[in-house]
Amino acid sequence: MTEVIGTKNLHKTYGKREKFEALRGVDLSIKKGESVAIIGKSGSGKSTLMHILALLDTPTKGLVSIYGENATKLRKNKLNHIRGDQFGFVFQQFFMNSNDSVLNNVILPLKIAGVGKRERRKRALEALKTVELIDKAKNKGNDLSGGQKQRVCIARAIVNNPDIIFADEPTGNLDSATGATIEKLLFGLNKDKGITLIVVTHDADIAKKCDRQIYISDGKVVNKPDENLTEKKVEES
Amino acid sequence: MSMKFNDIISTANSNLMRNKGRTLLTVLAIFIGSFTIILNVAINTGVNSFIDKQVESVGGEGYLDVAPAAMISQMEAMGSSEPQEYLPEENSSAVQSISEETIKKTEEIPGVTSVDPFRMISAEYITSSNTDKRFKLDIQGMGTDKIHLDIAEGRSPSADNPESEIALLPNFATALGFSSDADAIGKTITLAIKNRATGKLSNIEATVVGIQAPSVISMGRTWISQHLHEEVFKMMNVGVPAEIANLTMALGVDFDPEIASEDEVKQALEEIDLIGLSVADEIGMVKTFFDIILIVFSIFGGIALLAASIGIINTLFMSVQERTREIGLMKAMGLSSAQVFLSFSFEAISLGFWGSALGIGVSILVGSAANSIFHGPGMFLEDFPTFNLVEFTFQNCAIIALIIMFIAFLAGTLPARRAAKQNPIDALRYE
Ligand SMILES: Nc1ncnc2c1ncn2[C@@H]1O[C@H](COP(=O)(O)OP(=O)(O)O)[C@@H](O)[C@H]1O
Ligand SMILES: [Mg+2]
Repeated sequence: MTEVIGTKNLHKTYGKREKFEALRGVDLSIKKGESVAIIGKSGSGKSTLMHILALLDTPTKGLVSIYGENATKLRKNKLNHIRGDQFGFVFQQFFMNSNDSVLNNVILPLKIAGVGKRERRKRALEALKTVELIDKAKNKGNDLSGGQKQRVCIARAIVNNPDIIFADEPTGNLDSATGATIEKLLFGLNKDKGITLIVVTHDADIAKKCDRQIYISDGKVVNKPDENLTEKKVEES
Repeated sequence: MSMKFNDIISTANSNLMRNKGRTLLTVLAIFIGSFTIILNVAINTGVNSFIDKQVESVGGEGYLDVAPAAMISQMEAMGSSEPQEYLPEENSSAVQSISEETIKKTEEIPGVTSVDPFRMISAEYITSSNTDKRFKLDIQGMGTDKIHLDIAEGRSPSADNPESEIALLPNFATALGFSSDADAIGKTITLAIKNRATGKLSNIEATVVGIQAPSVISMGRTWISQHLHEEVFKMMNVGVPAEIANLTMALGVDFDPEIASEDEVKQALEEIDLIGLSVADEIGMVKTFFDIILIVFSIFGGIALLAASIGIINTLFMSVQERTREIGLMKAMGLSSAQVFLSFSFEAISLGFWGSALGIGVSILVGSAANSIFHGPGMFLEDFPTFNLVEFTFQNCAIIALIIMFIAFLAGTLPARRAAKQNPIDALRYE
């Protein structure tokens, strides 16, 4: 299988005076169509890693390759295009505009991509059908429950037919029952549409359902699962 | 892939509508500035076009009113409360009049075609055989045919023909017992003249040849033919020593603009201590008054716009603050910094547009109301139906709106740049 994203000796240091090394030499390779869990304790550097993989941030040191190209050498414009066309994002905090309609929230990525009015409406409705929220299209974001909001965010993430979905703690703010629905949705997209799924989580249950687990501890990839995680004691984000 | 232009605009507008109260207050601030400036420019346009019309109708090219330069400096000294030292060589009363020698020198200036000493005349009153009533008036002879009177009925009194002619001011015809302006034309009126030596009154008759239209330039003067002017002068000065009667205070100078320009003639006059003023110069003094008002109000308008700009900056900074997450998310979805900048700039321009549109709309309403009020009975424009105090042109409104939108854009660049620079991960990180 072909590699979609790979890193070599990835380092990320935060702060100018008080330096903090969030990533200290991460090597990984993610293949097309697989589902990968990036798992680790809170503060271990998962989100930092995901942001760099998703081309939202740049590493202090090391290489990121996207579809075989050196991402650090890509121009801003090209990065925007890759993110807009190939990536979909799901976040723990949903980040939807609660004052706007569900449909408009889902349309947003297509608007940014410059898709015409009729086409984007059609595609947004299709995406809402996939997450089974077609009847809420006209509702305001405020009217929805947490689980429904996250489903809207998934619809928004898939509306541009992405190759890769990045999900940072997608069930972190949800109870376990609604969390399970979201999981099913995400893994369904991975199986049915062949979308590469990169899930950041500290929840061992979700991690288990992925094809592969990458354990992160103190900014490094480790082989052994963290004890706390396997016992599922950590509940914070 | 890049966001469509009309989507950027509609996004900007819907963002403005999110906080209607704040948007409205900002638009109101811009409105105050634009309203002041637009109304101000409209008044200036109105006054200028009126003055231009007057200058055009008066003419006066190739004619200068000439007075001793010392008179001007003396008028200036009058305003001073400081004691002015007496200097024998500056013999003030002598300097004020123009000597025979100076008149000769004036005639010799290249381009000058005729020099008429200006003789002060006055009439005690005007009356007619139709009425016992007597009315005060201020008479003035047509020294030159280069100045055209604004005549509503009939024609101007002659500058050359040896006839006693008069052009009445508006309303005089009916006051003197004629049935209408037209009825007065060709009829005879009587002027009473006081002799300067004896103080006795005597009458002189004149034919009404025209009725003057209201005009700021004639300043309420009743114009008579040059022949009548000379007759009146003679009547006033019978028995007055010639050197006193003929004391010349001012000259009317005709010149040929093809031979010497107005500036050249003025220059030559200056060399013999005279000052020449054209009709345009004299009207220009009225204009200066309006220009000063314009400058003062423009400063007010400018200050209001400056305050409005700060309002725009503040509004947009708040908007950027509130939308940090959203901007971050949109950038994560591939929106470029340039498009974020554009979107915020459009919000600013849109604020400028609505502010100035409101300003134009309201000032047109206020301006037309003012025009019709000032043209109403008893108001100062009653006699000037063609003079609009406030005059709007499409071009002026468009230019001002564009300038205000540009100022709004400039004010918006600060917050827009902050928004554009925003890092998506900083915005998306959970805190
Ligand atoms: N912008 C930042 N400046 C300084 N330190 C940061 C910044 N972002 C994250 N960190 C630190 O880097 C570490 C890794 O953070 P993060 O990647 O968010 O961890 P995780 O997602 O695994 O909880 C944490 O200790 C966090 O405090
Ligand atoms: Mg995290």
